[in-house]
Amino acid sequence: MFALKARWPLMAVAIVGLLLSACAPTTSTGTGTGSNSPTPGASPASKVLRMARNAEPFSPFVPWQIDDNPALFISVNVYDTLLRTTKDGTNVEPGLATKWESSADGLTWTFTLKDGVKFSDGTAMKASDVKASLDMARGGEKSAWKDVYKAIKDIAAPDDKTVKITLSQPYAPLLSVLAMFSGGVLPADMAKATDTKDYDNTLAWKTKGTGAYYSDSWKKGDPIILKRNTNYWRGTPSVDEVRIEYIPDDNTRVLKLQGGETDVIDFVPFSQIAALSAQPNLKAQTFSIQQTAFIILNTSKPPLNDVKVRQALNYATDKEAIIKNVYFGQAKVMNSPIPQGTYYDKNLVGYPYDLEKAKALMASSSGASGFKMDMQVRSGNTNFANTAVILKDAWAKLGVTVDIQTLDTAVVRTNYREGNFMSTPTAWTNDMNDPTEIVNYAMRGGASPFAYWTRYNNPDLNDKITKADLEQDATKRAALYSEIQKIYSDAAPIASIAYLGATAGWRSNIDGFFIDGLSYYRFEDVKINK
Amino acid sequence: MGRAAYIRRRLILMAFVLFGVTIVIFGMVRILPGDPAFLILGDRATDQKAAELREQLGLNRPFLEQYWMFVSGFAHGDMGQSLLYRQPVGDLVLTRVPVTLALSGYAMGLAAVITLLFGITAAVNKGRWPDQLIRIGFLFALTTPNFWFGILLILLFGLTLHWFPVAGFGDTLPQHIWYLFLPALTLALQLSAVLIRNLRGQIIQTLRSDYIRTAHAKGLSESLVLLRHVLRNALLSTVTIFGLQFGFLVGGAIVIETVFALPGTGQLLIQSITARDYPVVQAITVVSAVLVILVNLVVDLSYSFLDPRVTYE
Repeated sequence: MFALKARWPLMAVAIVGLLLSACAPTTSTGTGTGSNSPTPGASPASKVLRMARNAEPFSPFVPWQIDDNPALFISVNVYDTLLRTTKDGTNVEPGLATKWESSADGLTWTFTLKDGVKFSDGTAMKASDVKASLDMARGGEKSAWKDVYKAIKDIAAPDDKTVKITLSQPYAPLLSVLAMFSGGVLPADMAKATDTKDYDNTLAWKTKGTGAYYSDSWKKGDPIILKRNTNYWRGTPSVDEVRIEYIPDDNTRVLKLQGGETDVIDFVPFSQIAALSAQPNLKAQTFSIQQTAFIILNTSKPPLNDVKVRQALNYATDKEAIIKNVYFGQAKVMNSPIPQGTYYDKNLVGYPYDLEKAKALMASSSGASGFKMDMQVRSGNTNFANTAVILKDAWAKLGVTVDIQTLDTAVVRTNYREGNFMSTPTAWTNDMNDPTEIVNYAMRGGASPFAYWTRYNNPDLNDKITKADLEQDATKRAALYSEIQKIYSDAAPIASIAYLGATAGWRSNIDGFFIDGLSYYRFEDVKINK
Repeated sequence: MGRAAYIRRRLILMAFVLFGVTIVIFGMVRILPGDPAFLILGDRATDQKAAELREQLGLNRPFLEQYWMFVSGFAHGDMGQSLLYRQPVGDLVLTRVPVTLALSGYAMGLAAVITLLFGITAAVNKGRWPDQLIRIGFLFALTTPNFWFGILLILLFGLTLHWFPVAGFGDTLPQHIWYLFLPALTLALQLSAVLIRNLRGQIIQTLRSDYIRTAHAKGLSESLVLLRHVLRNALLSTVTIFGLQFGFLVGGAIVIETVFALPGTGQLLIQSITARDYPVVQAITVVSAVLVILVNLVVDLSYSFLDPRVTYE
C-alpha cells in the first residue's frame, strides 16, 4: 500500500496523457491548417462563404410574410424587387424595372421590365409574375405589409414587359415602397399558392426567385444554405454557396471569426470593433444604416406631460458621453427625430448638451421640486442598460431620480402598450428610404401605436403628416418634413441620443460584403480571395 | 418484489410526477407577464392584428380548456404547434433532444473518467500535495460560472492551441464527437468537482475498514485491493449523486448550448421563454422531466450490480 502511493500521481498523468492522445487523431484533421478548418459538405473547388449570425428567421420566407429581421436581412439575395435601394439607402435605383414614368396627376405609374430576366430554375420572368406577387403583398391574407400598399388601387400587366400601377390617391413614397423587400417577385403560381392553408415554411424555403441566390430547403436548427443563381441578371455571383450558421452568443461569434471557423459575422459588439480591426487577418466595420436610439417618454404621466420637463431631460442628455462610453465612438449625435435618410433635416439644432439650460427649464417647470421616474430596460440589451446607467447619473443633476427596472422584452412591450411606464430606451430602424414610415408610426398620435407609445398627440402635426404623404413635389415635401421634424423635436416626446450603425466583421480575404442603408446583407458582390 | 415489479411501480409513479410537472409548467409560463401575440407580431403590430392572432392561436380560450388541449394532446403524442415558428412542436423539440442527450451523456462519461482518476489519486495521497492540488483545483471548477469557464476553454483549446473547434455541432458523427468535447468538458469539470469530493471521502473511509486490512493481510496486490474491494464499496453513494446530477446537467446545458452554439433543447428553451412560446416551453420541460426520471431509475437499478445485497422492495 505505502509503496504504491507515490506511483498514483504518475499513473494519473499517464492516463491523462492517454486520454489526450486519444483525442489527437480527430483533432489533427483541423489543426494542421489552422485558419482553414474543413467546411463540411463543400468540395475544395467550390467557394463557400461561411457566415455566423446572431438570430434565426422565424416567419415564413415569403417576401410579404416576412416580419423578422433575420429573414428580411437576407431576403434581397433571393427575391428581387421592381426597384432597389441604393447602397447608401437614401435613394432608389433600377431593379427588375429599367425605367418608370407617372401620369401628370401622379395616379398612374408605368414600369418597363428588364429584358431576359430569369428565375433561378431558368424560366422567364414576366409582368404577370410581378402583378401576382404585388397583389399578394398588398392583399394577401397572410401579408404582414398590406398597410404600406394601401394607396394602390389596381395593378395590371398589359404585356410581358409592362406593369401598370394605379393609385387611389397620389402617394409620394410609392417608389420607396416598391424597393422594399416585401415586394419581392415570385413566379405567379407560387405567389398565389402562398396564401393556401397548407403553405408552410418548409415550402417557402424551396425558393424560386430572380435574385443572386436560391435555397432548396431549410429547417430550424440547420445552417441556411444559399446557392448561387447561374441565371442571375446582374451576372453569376463569384461565391458558389453562402452557408449561414446561427450563433446567438456575441462572444462566441467573435471567437469563431478569430478561430477561422467562419468568414463573416454580424452584430459585432461595438466594444470589439477596434480590437478586431487591429488584427492582421480580420476586418470589422460599422455600416451606416437608418437607425436611431432614443428614450421614449410617456407624455401622459405627470410631470412628463410638461414640455419643459421633457426639453430639460433632452438638454441634460450628454449624447457625446453615451456615444463614447456605450457605443465606443461607433455612432453619431442625433439632432433630428428621424434617421439620416431621405428628407432628414441636417440643419435642425436639436438638443446639444447644455446642463445650465436644462436646470433653468426644469426650475420653471412642474417638475421643479424633483420627481421619481422609472426607466424600463429590456434585459439582455447591454447598450440600453449602459445608456440607462449614464442617464440615471446625468438626470439626477436635475433632481430626477431614475429607477432602472430591468425587465423581459415581453414585459416592456406589454407595459408600453398599456401605458404602464414613464420611460424606456429603444431603437428604430427604417424599412424604407422614406420618412413616411417613421412619422406615421412614431409621430402620429390619437390611435395605436400612439406616436410610438409616447401618447403624444398634436392634431396639427397629424395633418402635416397626411399632407406630406400626398405631396408629389419633392421640394415641397422636403419643406413639410423639415417642419414636421422641428415640431416634433420641440415637443420632445423622446429624449434623443444617437444614430447607430450595423456592425459586421470578416476575414480579410473576403471582399465586397456590405450592409446597405436599410440593413440588408447583400452577398452578390462578395469575393473570396486566396 | 422483484426488479420487474419495482420498475413497474416506478413507472406508475412517474405518471403522477409528470402530471404535477404539466400543471406547474402550464401555470408558470402563463403567470409570466407578456403577450405572445405582440412578441410574434413585433413592436409595430396593431391591437386588432394581435387580437386576431390570439384567436387563431387559441390563446383567448379559457385556461382549463387550454390545459386540457395541452395534456390530452401530449398523451396522444401531439405536442401542439409552436406559436412562433408555426410548426409542430414535436418536430422542433424531438430533433434537438439527441443533441442535449449526447452532450449530457458525453459530459457524464467524461465526468466518470475524471472522477475516478482524480478521486482515487486524491484519496490514496490523502493530505499530500496531489490531494491538495486536486481539491483546490476542483474547488475552482465548482465555483466558476460555467459560461465563463466555457469561454476560457474556448480561448485555450480553440483559439490558442487549435485542438478543438470554437463552437458549433458539426455534420458527421466524428465531427459531433470532436465539436462536443469542449462543452462536455465544461459541464464534466463542474460535475466531477462534486463527485471527486464524495468519492475521495468514501475511499478514505473504506480504506480504514477491517476487510481491507484482511485483504492486504492475504497478500492481494495493491491495485486488486483498490479496484475490487475499495472502489466497489466506495462507489455506491457517488453513483447516487451522479444520477441526481443529471438534472443539473440538463440545466447547465441550457447555458452551455448557447455559449457553444449547439442546436439542443436548452438553446431552444431560452428562445421559447423569451418569445413566450408556451407549447415549446411546455414540451421541453416535460420531455426533460421524463429523461431525468428515467436516468434516475437506471441509477437506482444499477445499485444491485454494484452491491448484490441491494434488493428492490
